[in-house]
Amino acid sequence: MTFRRQALVIFRRDLRIEGRTGEALLITLPFGLAALFLIPLALPLDTELLSRIGPGMFWAVTLLFGMFITFRQSAGESPAQHEQLRMLGVDPAARYTGRVAASTLLLVVFEVVMAPTTILLFAPEPIPGWPWAIPLALLVAIGLALIGTLVSDMTASLRGRSTLAPLLVAPLSIPLLVPAAQGLESIRTNNGILVPALFMVLVVLALAVIGVMTAQPLEETT
Amino acid sequence: MKLRYALFGLATVGMAYGFSWALRMPADAVQGESARIISVHVPTSWLAFLAFGLTAVFGLAWLATKRSKLDHLAAASAEIGVLFTALALITGMIWGNATWGIAWDWGDARLASTAMMFFVYLGYLALRRATPDATQRARRSAILGAVGALQVPLVYFSVNIWRTLHQTQSVRPDGASMPTETLISMLVNLGAFTLLYLALLVWRTDQLRIEETYLAKTSLAPNAGTAVVPPKLQPGS
Repeated sequence: MTFRRQALVIFRRDLRIEGRTGEALLITLPFGLAALFLIPLALPLDTELLSRIGPGMFWAVTLLFGMFITFRQSAGESPAQHEQLRMLGVDPAARYTGRVAASTLLLVVFEVVMAPTTILLFAPEPIPGWPWAIPLALLVAIGLALIGTLVSDMTASLRGRSTLAPLLVAPLSIPLLVPAAQGLESIRTNNGILVPALFMVLVVLALAVIGVMTAQPLEETT
Repeated sequence: MKLRYALFGLATVGMAYGFSWALRMPADAVQGESARIISVHVPTSWLAFLAFGLTAVFGLAWLATKRSKLDHLAAASAEIGVLFTALALITGMIWGNATWGIAWDWGDARLASTAMMFFVYLGYLALRRATPDATQRARRSAILGAVGALQVPLVYFSVNIWRTLHQTQSVRPDGASMPTETLISMLVNLGAFTLLYLALLVWRTDQLRIEETYLAKTSLAPNAGTAVVPPKLQPGS
């Protein structure tokens, strides 16, 4: 079986499990929506302030709840399943790629639901070139999936995993979050997104190379 | 052992000389007395970059060779890096408070990215602590060290990428934008702090080696009570 075929099988498997458990879209997504509802309640009733912080809240909620999509229990494998995949000769890099692809798709769905909700609740100023925000959101989804899957493998079977993994992902995803927020601001001020988008592409490429290169040694930890 | 003491001695002499320059230089026309802190802030920041860069190098070398000394070097370097990053943040905040009138500015890319780098390596140390098996610990932390090292160039070039409160590099190939006394004190301390880093690295690596040897021995030794076997119930009893 080719690398692409193996990755595709893992991708489909992860989505099928998600379809059965609904861990990302039926649990994490509503929790993210609840967080968006809670933030305005914790702030003074100031419509102008809410409209200013709206885009930032979108990125913060995407990061904080998106990482839980990448750590979802259903994306992991039990030692027995893992052993079986290894004996079947599944390339660890293909496994990583397939899992990243599935998490990316789920993160995109998460962003697609969160974006209109943020607009509804925070009523940010209309952004004329808003379609340019789509590549930024896509890059954040890919980057977060790459980091989350890597950290998920890194902390697999550790006792403090549920606390340790978010502690690792949050600061590692700053190189994605900062340019994404700046890119959105550039779109608003009509300055173009080339520089922040290029920076994000570089970060995503570096993460992808590290993820694929370290898949084999990480396979040996589980 | 002798190497460690020699390095400590050289670092102490170097720092004494560097600090004497820092205290002798005239107060800065704009920044006043607070400019003296540069002789500590810049070396500690440099050591944070060096320590985290070397953590990645030692970690990757461990992945290639599986020599436990390299893992100890990576761990020791990360611990020292966290210490110096904390010092760089504290000295930066003291300097910022005196010069900018504010100790912490969230809009400043250098401050925010340095704080994030600090958290990445706190996570690195937490990951090591959470992994009991030595080989697993070395493997996991080597990979995290490589990913975390991506933050180093980001922090360094953050002042060029995002024009914010923190000034860009003061020492460039075309010259330095600071008085000669400040430059001398900064460069002498840069060398002295690097020697201090090496001394701490040698010291901590030795400690980690001893710790691992001790743990390996004690984990093989029988625990009190292991000889006690619960009675087996016979069928029908």
